This record gives sequence, structure tokens and C-alpha cells, in this order.
Amino acid sequence: MSTPPEMLPRLHVLERGWLSSNNIVFDDDDGISVVDTGYVTHAEQTVQLIDRLRRGRPLTRIINTHLHSDHVGGNARLAAAAHRWSGASANIIIAPGQAAAVAAWDEDALGYAATGQQCERFAHHDVLRIGATLTLGGAPWEVLAAPGHDPHMVMLFEPHARVLISADALWENGFGAIFGEIEGEPAFAAQRAVLDEIARRAPRVVIPGHGAPFTGVAAALERAYGRLSSLAADPRRNANHIAKVLIKFWLLQVRATTYAELLAHFAGTRYMRLIHARYFSQQPLEALLDRILMELALMGAITRAGERVANRD
Amino acid sequence: MASNLFRAAPAAAPSSVASPCVSVCKIDAASGWCEGCKRTIDEIAHWARYSDAQKRAVLAALPARHSGTATG
Repeated sequence: MSTPPEMLPRLHVLERGWLSSNNIVFDDDDGISVVDTGYVTHAEQTVQLIDRLRRGRPLTRIINTHLHSDHVGGNARLAAAAHRWSGASANIIIAPGQAAAVAAWDEDALGYAATGQQCERFAHHDVLRIGATLTLGGAPWEVLAAPGHDPHMVMLFEPHARVLISADALWENGFGAIFGEIEGEPAFAAQRAVLDEIARRAPRVVIPGHGAPFTGVAAALERAYGRLSSLAADPRRNANHIAKVLIKFWLLQVRATTYAELLAHFAGTRYMRLIHARYFSQQPLEALLDRILMELALMGAITRAGERVANRD
Repeated sequence: MASNLFRAAPAAAPSSVASPCVSVCKIDAASGWCEGCKRTIDEIAHWARYSDAQKRAVLAALPARHSGTATG
């Protein structure tokens, strides 16, 4: 296709890279709503982008598909900007299941400590309800449960235009890392059920959490099922993939570091310690990180020269 | 190459022009360009709605901004 898929006229996708999720902006009757707000280090630009798109209207709602740092990192700054713009607060509406952890700002329960990621504290006003319908941009969006990548994640589906906001449950080629398995949760099975649900709904267009909106959903589902089968057949491969994702994500944020700093960071990161202890304990953590860095360098995702480790775009 | 890791799109997908975003995502106040990809706020904001031809036109303007030979 030479032009982006036709979606809905009152929906706008802000697509950036991998550290920030897509932000989906809706033109409502009484202002604008934003679904997912990106990573905290990008929050200033996120505010600038939303300010450009809002054309003087108030930002009334901030909605989150899940609470990962790359989806809620702009919440606090956007809520403050909304107040500056219109004198009224934006309502922050989060996926259900972790409202108490958000209210208490429990960084362990929210996974920011476990992944070694940052997020700016925000206060939520409401939670999404599974099966409920939200009006966004004048259209009805059903809230669907989407556990797998995150046990509390939701997707949003508009049944008339058959547009799916899939969060990290389905990308054009794959899906978000299946973190739950390394904690012993049946997350592969949950992810399979989510793919089944997407197949049943048969969306015409998918707006993923990362990457451009796409059609060709049946083929994307086929790729996702294939990848899920190969990960589920070899949980060490899944663990290895999560280790790569954690390191690449951190390097996207810090850009460059030393091997000693990287080792210190991930020695203090619960998920990396868990991956080491559960799947690769026959070697020291240092050897595991060495191997993961080599694999990342071979795929062109990072560079390593002696002590220096850097992101590679 | 991050897309190889995060599997955004098939390597051979002919359908879309890849975003130049490198996850820096900070606007330089003096130039008005993102410090990472050198796009303007408008170019980033409207990227998803551009046709492939429009995306390629934006990409074509970026090397001069990176090398400092463009002024605005």
C-alpha cells in the first residue's frame, strides 16, 4: 500500500520508535483523548506533539492499555499540561487490576523495579472495565482483556470499522515479550487465547503499541502464532529473548554506557536475576550478559568495543 | 535494526517506509528539529498519515539537517 490504512477520521496515531509506545489521539466532541503516553524521557516531546494536534481543545482523558513504562511514562507531564491548557484536569483511566499499586506507587508491583525502567508517578482517576464500551472520537470502543504480554493489559476494538488498538498483544511481526512465563505464570497460554480472540474479531486494521498501523491481519496473526509456538516449545529461548529486550530497551534510554555499569544495573534488576537463576544458572551472570551482548551486537542492535557498550539505531 | 529484535515488521515488508525515529525524541529549541531524527514536530505528528511518497520526501530532507547544511 502506498498510503496508510483508512481508519477513522477522528483518530490520529503518533508513531515514534521503540522506547515510546504509539500514542493514539482521539478528537472527541468535548476535547481530545489520548491512549498511551510513551516513555518518561520523551514526555516533553509527547506534550509538544499532543499540543500540536489538539488545536486549542482541552485534553480531557488519558487512557492506558497497560502500566508498562513505555505506555504510561508521559501520563504525569500530560496531565499537568492539560491543566495548563484548559484549567481542568485530564482524567487518567488505567487498565484494571493494578489500581492499588498505582495509588500507592508500588514500583515493585508495577514492574518498574523488576525491569530496571523508570516511570514518573501519576495518580489515576478511574479504571477501564472489561467488556464496557468507551466513546472515543465519536465511535464505540469495546474494552477487551489481553493478558499474555502483561496479565492486566487491555485492547480496544471498534466493531463497525473493525479497528483494533492491540497494545503489545499483536504487532505486525510478533508481540511484546511474554514476561509472565519467567515468573512461572501460564502466559503463553494467555497470549494464545488473546490471539484467538483477535482472530474471532477479525479486525481490518490493527493499531499496534509499536510500529505503524497495518492491514493484512490474518498474516500477522499467522506470524504471531508461529512465534508463540516456537517460544512456548523452548522457554529458555523466551527467557533469552526477554534478556535481550531488557538490555536493548535500557540502551535505547541511556544510549551508551560501560560494561561495568551495565553489569551493575542488571545485577540489581529482578527480572534479569530471575532469568539467570531459572534458566542459565550454570554460568555466572557476567557470562550470561556477555553472551546476550554478543547476540545483540551480531544482530546489529548494539555495538560493543571493549568496555564501551552503545545502542545502535 | 531494533525492529529485528522487537519484530515490528517483516524484514521484507514492501508496504511501508520505516520511521527514522531513533528513540531520542527531544526537540532542539534552536532548530526546531528532533535531536535524534531531525524531524520537526509537524513531521513527527503527521508521520502516520503521510503517504509513502510524503514519508520519502521527509527522509530525503534529513541528511542535510544531520550534516548541518540545512538551516530550516
